Amino acid sequence: MKSHRSVRMSSLSAFAVVAVATTAQAEPKINMMHQWAQGSEAEAIAKLGEMFEAAGGSWEQTAISGHTSDMLAKLSADIVAGNAPPAVQLKGPEIAQWSAVGTMADLDDVAAEEGWDDVVAPELVSVMKPDGNWVAAPMNIHRVNWLYSSKAILDELGLEVPTSWDEFNAACDKIMAAGHTCIAHGAADWSDTTTFDSVVYGMDIDLYRKAFQDGDVEAMRGQGMVDAFAQLRKMVGYMDDGINGRSWEQSMTMTMTGEAAFFLMGDWTVASANLAGFKEGEDYLCNQTPVDWGGTGFILNADSVVFFGQEDPDYVQGQKLLASTIMSPEFQVTFNVAKGSIPSRTDVDLSKGGFTGCQQQGLADLKASAAEDTLVRSMAHNMTVPQKYRGAMMEVITEFVADDSITPEEAAEQLAEAVELQD
Amino acid sequence: MQPLLGARLSRWTPQLVLVPTLAAAFVYVVVFSVWTLWISVSQSTLLPNMAYGGFGEYAALWQSKRWIVSYQNLFLFGALYVLGSLFVGTLLAILIDQRVRFESVWRTIFLYPLAISFIVTGTVWRWIFHPQTGVERALSDMGWLSANVDWITDRDMALYVVVFTGIWHASGFAMALILAGLRSVDGDLIKAAQIDGASMPRIYRCVVLPTIWPIFVAVTVVLLQFAIKTYDLVVALTQGGPGVATTVPAIVVYDLMFERGQIAQGAAAAVMILAALAIVLVPYVVWTSWRDRKQGAAHG
Amino acid sequence: MAETARQSFDPLATGSRSRQLRARTIVYALLGFFALLYLSPLLIILMNSYRPLAEIVREGFISGPETMSWRYWGEAWGSFCLGGSCEGVSRYFYNTLVMTVPATILSTAFGVVNGYVLSKWRFRHDTWVFGLITLGVFLPAQMTLLPWAFVLGKIGLSNSLAGLVLVHTVQGISFTTLFCRNYFVAVPDDLIKAARIDGAGFWRIFRRIMLPLSPPILIVCVIWQFTGIWNEFLYGAVLTSGANQPITSAIVAFSGSGTGERHYNVEAAAVIFAALPPLFIYLIGGKYFVRGLTSGAVK
Repeated sequence: MKSHRSVRMSSLSAFAVVAVATTAQAEPKINMMHQWAQGSEAEAIAKLGEMFEAAGGSWEQTAISGHTSDMLAKLSADIVAGNAPPAVQLKGPEIAQWSAVGTMADLDDVAAEEGWDDVVAPELVSVMKPDGNWVAAPMNIHRVNWLYSSKAILDELGLEVPTSWDEFNAACDKIMAAGHTCIAHGAADWSDTTTFDSVVYGMDIDLYRKAFQDGDVEAMRGQGMVDAFAQLRKMVGYMDDGINGRSWEQSMTMTMTGEAAFFLMGDWTVASANLAGFKEGEDYLCNQTPVDWGGTGFILNADSVVFFGQEDPDYVQGQKLLASTIMSPEFQVTFNVAKGSIPSRTDVDLSKGGFTGCQQQGLADLKASAAEDTLVRSMAHNMTVPQKYRGAMMEVITEFVADDSITPEEAAEQLAEAVELQD
Repeated sequence: MQPLLGARLSRWTPQLVLVPTLAAAFVYVVVFSVWTLWISVSQSTLLPNMAYGGFGEYAALWQSKRWIVSYQNLFLFGALYVLGSLFVGTLLAILIDQRVRFESVWRTIFLYPLAISFIVTGTVWRWIFHPQTGVERALSDMGWLSANVDWITDRDMALYVVVFTGIWHASGFAMALILAGLRSVDGDLIKAAQIDGASMPRIYRCVVLPTIWPIFVAVTVVLLQFAIKTYDLVVALTQGGPGVATTVPAIVVYDLMFERGQIAQGAAAAVMILAALAIVLVPYVVWTSWRDRKQGAAHG
Repeated sequence: MAETARQSFDPLATGSRSRQLRARTIVYALLGFFALLYLSPLLIILMNSYRPLAEIVREGFISGPETMSWRYWGEAWGSFCLGGSCEGVSRYFYNTLVMTVPATILSTAFGVVNGYVLSKWRFRHDTWVFGLITLGVFLPAQMTLLPWAFVLGKIGLSNSLAGLVLVHTVQGISFTTLFCRNYFVAVPDDLIKAARIDGAGFWRIFRRIMLPLSPPILIVCVIWQFTGIWNEFLYGAVLTSGANQPITSAIVAFSGSGTGERHYNVEAAAVIFAALPPLFIYLIGGKYFVRGLTSGAVK
C-alpha cells in the first residue's frame, strides 16, 4: 500500500517537475473557491491542498459557506471585477452556461495524457466537456435515489424493504397503523425536490427524462406528472408534523434510531451516519428508492471543479496540477470515503480504502444502470436543466408539500407554467 | 489678489467640503440605481450584458407566485415591524423615563440586541421557536404536553414570528432615541399641563410625544431601511419558508441574480423594491413641503 | 434650564401614596417582563456554549445543563477547523477589526463635517443634496453588489480589505450624515451668527462650537457604524478571499454543514466571541445614546 502510494506521489511530482520545466519556471499556484468551510468535506479539501502542495504547488482556498448563491455571488463579482477565479466548485449545466459567457481553461492535454475519457463515467463526460474540451474535473459521483430504512421497525413488523411504489404505500400503511412515522423528512426546496425526483423517476423513467432532463412542458402537465404529485401528496401524509424547519441530518437520525421507518436522500447520508456512529446493516439498510419498472435505477449527481482562463502562467500551471490531483485515484479514494459518494473514475477498486457496503453497492448499481440504459442525472441537484427552470420548479414542488390545499392537477399545471414563464 | 482668492475659496468652503461625499453619493445612489434600471431591461443572464432586452423580465416577475408573496410580505412585514418597534420602543422609553432605579441596566438590556447580527438573531430565535428544539420542547419536557409553540412551522403565522424577532432586535434602538427625546422636552410645558390637572398618560399622549415627533421621523427612517433590506434575518430564521410564506423581496433579488443566473430579472425585482420605497417616501416628501409652505405662508 | 425643569418632573410622584406604589409596581413588573424576554436568547446561547453536543441534540436548546465544560470556548477561539485553517475564529476576528475600525472612523468623520455643513451653512438646493445622500441608506446590498465589484475592480482594490473599507465608508456616510445633520439642527443658529460676527470662519466655528457639542452624536455614529460593519455578511464574504474573510463568514460556516453534525456548542461560543466587540461598545457608549439631544448646550 505504502509503496503504491509513493509511486503515485512520485508520478504526480514527476508530472509537476515536467510541467514546471517545460513552462519556463512557472510556479504552480491555485486559489480554489468552494462551499465546504466546515466538517468532513472541509477536511477532504484540506487533504486536496496537502496533495497539491506535496506535488509542488502553492495552495490557497476561499471557502464561502452559506448558500450556493453566496458562492455564485462571489464568482460573479470576481468576474465582473476582472479576476476570474482559477478554480471554482461548479456543477451540471452551470459548467456549460459559464463556458458560454466566460473564457475557460483548456485541460485537453492533461486529459489526454491521463486518459480521462476512458475512465470517467460516460454520463459525466458530456457535462465536463460542454464544448468538446475538458474544462472541469469531476470530484465524485453521488447517487440521489437511496432509500434508507430503519432495520428496527422493519424487523418489528416483519416487513421487507419495498421495491415498487405500491409496495411502499402498503408498507407505510402498516407502519403508520403500528404507530410509527413512516417517512422522516425535513422540508426545504431541495429536499422536497429530491424526494420528488425519486418519485417521478421510479414511476415513469421516460417522464423523468422528458420533464426533468429535457424540460418538456407538455410532459409536465401530463397525466403521468399528476399521478406523481398524487403519490407525493400521499407520502406527505406518511410524514409527521414537524417537517418544517427540520434539518436533513435530524431526519436521518430519526430513521436510524428507529423513530421513523424510511428516509429518502442521497448517499451523503452515509458520511453523516458514519460520523454519528450508525452502522449499516444494524441500524439502517440501504436500497434504491422504489421503481415500478423493475431494474436498477441510478440518479446521478456530481461535484466538480471548473477552471476559468487565467493570464498568470503560475495559475495556468496550477490549474493543470489541480485537475490532475483531483483525478488521481488517491484523491478520489480519500475524498469519496469522507463524503459517502463514489469516485468519478470507474477504475478505482472500492473494496479497499474504507468504502462502506452501501458505497460499493452504489458503484455496482452505477455500472448496471449504465448497462441497462436507466442512468439519469438529477434535476433536484442541479445536473440537468438550467437553474432558472430548476428554481421555478422547486418553488412549485416545495409549495405543494407545504400547502395541502394544492391538488395534484393544479400542481402539474403550475409546474408547466412556472417553466414556461422563464422564457 | 491673495485675500480675494482666499475669501472666494472660504465662501465656497461648505460646498467644497461636501464635494467628496457628493461625488461618492452620486455614484453610489444615482449611477448604481440607473445601472440597475438599465440591467433590468437588458439581456443579462449569468453576467451583466448591456444589450437591450425589453420589459419581459418585469412581466415574468409579476407572474411568479413567490415574488407576489414576497412583495406583499414587504408591506405587511414593513408596516408591522416599523409600527411595532416604535410602539414597543416608546413604551420602554416611557417606562424608563419614570425615574426608575438601575436605569443603565434596563437600558443596556433593551439595547444589546442591536449589537447582535441579523444572522445570529435569526439562528438563535429559530432554535427557540422550533417545536423540536425550543420552547415547545422545553414545555413538554416539563410536563405541559399539549403546549403549542409552533408558529414558525405554520404558513399563516410564520411571518409574525419574523416580525416579533425583528422588533426584538430593533426596538431598543427606538427606545434609546425616544428616551433621549423625552428627556429633552421642556419641563415648563409639562408643569403647565400638570397645573391644568391632566393625568400622566394624558400628558404623555398630548404634550410630550407630539413635541418629539422629529425623533419619531428619524427612528422611522432607520427602521424603514432595515425593513426594506431584510435578508439575513429571514434566511436564518425561516429560509423564506414554510414554502414561500415568509420570503421577502431582497431574497428574491439575490436568488434571481446569482443562484438562478437571471440578473435582468433580479434587477427588475430590485427596481420594484425601490418603487415600493417611493410609494412610501414620495407622499411624505410632498406632505412635508406642503406643510413647510403652509408654515411659510403663515409666517409671511 | 430645560434640564433642571425636566428633572423635577417625576410623573409617578402624582397622586396618593398607594397609587404611587401601585404605579411603581406596574412599571417595574413591565420592565422585568420585557427584560426577561430580551435577555432570553443571550442566556440560551450562553448556556448552550457549555453543554456537550450529544446533550443538546438529545434535550433541545432550552434545558438545564447536565454537564458543563469550558473547552468549547477554547475550541471556538483557537482550534476549530473553519475554511481551511484550524485556528478557530481568532483569525477572522482580527480581519474584521482591521476592516471595521478605519471604516467607522472615516465615515463618522465625514458624517460630522457633512452634518455641520448641511445644518448650518444653507445654500440653494441643500435639501436635495441632503436627500440624495440620505437615499443611500435605502439601497439593498444585493442590488449594489455587482456595481461595487466592478468599481473596485477598475480601481484595483478588488479582493482586498482596503476595498471593503471603501465600500463600508461610502455606504456609512449616508447614515452618519443623516444622524449628524438631524442632531446639529438643534444647535441654535444664534451661536453661529454670533461667532461669524466675531469673525470666525468655517473651520473655526467647527472646532470651537460644533465639535465640543458633538460627543453624543459622534458616539451614536461610532456605535451604529461599528455594529453595522462588524455584523455585515454579504460584502465581507464576496469582496474578500482566502485568509481575509471577516468573522461573519466564520459564523455562517458553522451552519453550512453538508455532511457532519453541526457543532451547536462551539457555534454558540463563537457567536459570543463575534458579538463581544459590538456589545462592549454598547456597554461603554450606551448612555450617550440616551443623553438628551440638547444636553449641556446652549441656554
